[in-house]
Amino acid sequence: MGAEVAQVTRVTQATQAAQLAGVARRHDDDVAPGEAVLPVLPALRELLPAGGLRRGSVVATGRWSLLCLALVAGASAAGAWCAAVGLPGLGVAAAAGAGLVPDRMLLVPDPGPGWPQVVASLLDGCDLVLLRPPDQPPAQARRRLEATVRRSGGVLVVAGDWDGAQTRFTVADQEWTGIGAGHGRLRARRVQVVADGRGAGARSQSRWLWLPGPDGSVTRAEPAPAAGGEPGEWLQRSTG
Amino acid sequence: MTRVLVVCCPDWPEPGDQDEGPAARAFEPVVATVEEFCPRVEVLRPGACAIGARGPARYFGGEQALAAKIIDAVTDRGFACRVGVADGLFAAQLAARAPRPDGEPEAALIVAPGQTPAFLAPHPVGRLGDPDLADLLPRLGIRTLGEFAALPAAEAANRFGTDGALAHRLARGLEPRPLVPRPPSADLSAAVEFDPPAEQAEPVAFAAKSLGDQMHAELSRRGLACVRVRIQVICADGQEVTRWWRHDGLLSSLAVAERVRWQLAAWQAGQDERRRGVTSLGGITVLRLVPDQLVRDTGRQLGLWGDSVVDDRVARAALRVQAMLGHGAVTRPLLAGGRDPAEQVTLVPFGDAADPRHPAGRPWPGGLPAPAPATIFPVPRPAVVIDEAGGAVTVTGRALLSAPPARLSVPGAPSLAITSWAGPWPVTERWWRPADARRRARFQLVAEDGSAWLAAVQDGRWQLEAGYE
Repeated sequence: MGAEVAQVTRVTQATQAAQLAGVARRHDDDVAPGEAVLPVLPALRELLPAGGLRRGSVVATGRWSLLCLALVAGASAAGAWCAAVGLPGLGVAAAAGAGLVPDRMLLVPDPGPGWPQVVASLLDGCDLVLLRPPDQPPAQARRRLEATVRRSGGVLVVAGDWDGAQTRFTVADQEWTGIGAGHGRLRARRVQVVADGRGAGARSQSRWLWLPGPDGSVTRAEPAPAAGGEPGEWLQRSTG
Repeated sequence: MTRVLVVCCPDWPEPGDQDEGPAARAFEPVVATVEEFCPRVEVLRPGACAIGARGPARYFGGEQALAAKIIDAVTDRGFACRVGVADGLFAAQLAARAPRPDGEPEAALIVAPGQTPAFLAPHPVGRLGDPDLADLLPRLGIRTLGEFAALPAAEAANRFGTDGALAHRLARGLEPRPLVPRPPSADLSAAVEFDPPAEQAEPVAFAAKSLGDQMHAELSRRGLACVRVRIQVICADGQEVTRWWRHDGLLSSLAVAERVRWQLAAWQAGQDERRRGVTSLGGITVLRLVPDQLVRDTGRQLGLWGDSVVDDRVARAALRVQAMLGHGAVTRPLLAGGRDPAEQVTLVPFGDAADPRHPAGRPWPGGLPAPAPATIFPVPRPAVVIDEAGGAVTVTGRALLSAPPARLSVPGAPSLAITSWAGPWPVTERWWRPADARRRARFQLVAEDGSAWLAAVQDGRWQLEAGYE
């Protein structure tokens, strides 16, 4: 009980009180195989109608970006294994910053033409598979993989387009802070992430996030100010 | 007491220095040469192998003659080697490594039967290979194996525990674990047949893992464990390759699979030399694991901390992908140190253990501040950065910029205006080692579409090293 209270207190500080109901419901940090959803980072929870990644579903992100890593970070931190297929350039340090646990990652940088079998094999062992498919994957391979995902109860996060995806994420707007014309450095990026769902999650949700935040983590952000603020201003806002 | 002959190549790297796979493959010719004298060759580790000396010595006219013949044969293949013969493996290994009298650096050292305790006596206790004992015994005034062997066996077991009792047996010139006197009545081997014959090594290594599990399950049901395993591979044309592998920590099924892969890779390399691949032999039809040198299973304690345990389910999935794509295709990342984002991660093939090339957790002055880039190009992408006037932007030796960068273009994509940028941050690395010395100036660039890049100028050329999105 004490741990639960402590967690709730921490969450209250970090996020809005409106999230409390959802957090209190999911107080167990372990990824139980029976649960219908895999947990996501608190900042992303409101974007998903189920409060997490629904097992057996496919999530598409349009293209490879930090957003893919942020989507799987919550479940990885909670104990899930995550495989990345076809991503030779995946920044492991950025992944660790977003909350992924490198010890529970498998990388298959070059799956070759047999990538659907590779993904299907990995789905047997890992709860999460990040995939960058080749351009225009054949429809048949796609449908077969969707069936494998449903059967295995994992989640396939596609860094690309995927016609049958249950949820689609896009970055609508982004802005880097901390860097000027010849001074400063990249400190954080404020992005507007839009999630479009199918069926039950048909309503489009949009949130502003720090992706990445100043220390690489992913947190909620205030909507962008109308006028461009000072480069250092975000720091006061995010800490105050 | 069994007479054992050990062949030891002094040039080989010590185990643990590096990945053992290449060393094991390179050792294969030596093993093949020794095999011509005695078919039951036991590979102790890459760089050392042993045979039972009694039978071959009778055939070749004595231990001295046998050792001389083996030294000649191995030296002919171009490997330096030393040979020792003694009662028991431990003494034979020491004999192979012991200093030789002047004038005969290549001579074999043969410890006469029954003389093993006397031969062992002057060696320091550190030779037992147990760091704890090597530290403790000298502090108790026990410096040599002879002094240690003089202790009563029961007292040694009382004071130093199971490991101490094993070491005490070694010091007295006995086998470390008494062999189970009764030969196993049942056939404890495990075999798998491939139909159609397997033509690649990977599926065979994959099958070896489950075969190893099966063998261990059968052994543990009888309360036994094996120190040595015989891996037998039979081809479609009837040819057979057999190797013994020893592991003091008792072989796990993953370790068995690894040794099958080494054995096949080494053997295939040998076949290619003779211009005959596995395929021309019709593939591999049978893989058999035969447990050897059974000992009572005294149990193994897993560490409470430190070892990150891999879920069985995950290991199976990873091994299946390795069976499809090859051993190096599935990797686990290991965070390391370094100034470059690409250096900060070491990719370790699944199932291997490796240390990061640059240790993590040390200060790396000049390293990039957080946040880390999300995309790291395995090969930096060449880029062109120009200023407002259209001239190339350059950086002088004193890290001065010729003009503020205005546009960024990458081959195959339209050029983008640079909205903000930071740099140049000069990095001079390893100037004391010309082979990997580098001098660069790094920049962070943000383009008009919101993309952010880590760029570097080296030798006057711009390249993109990583993307932050």
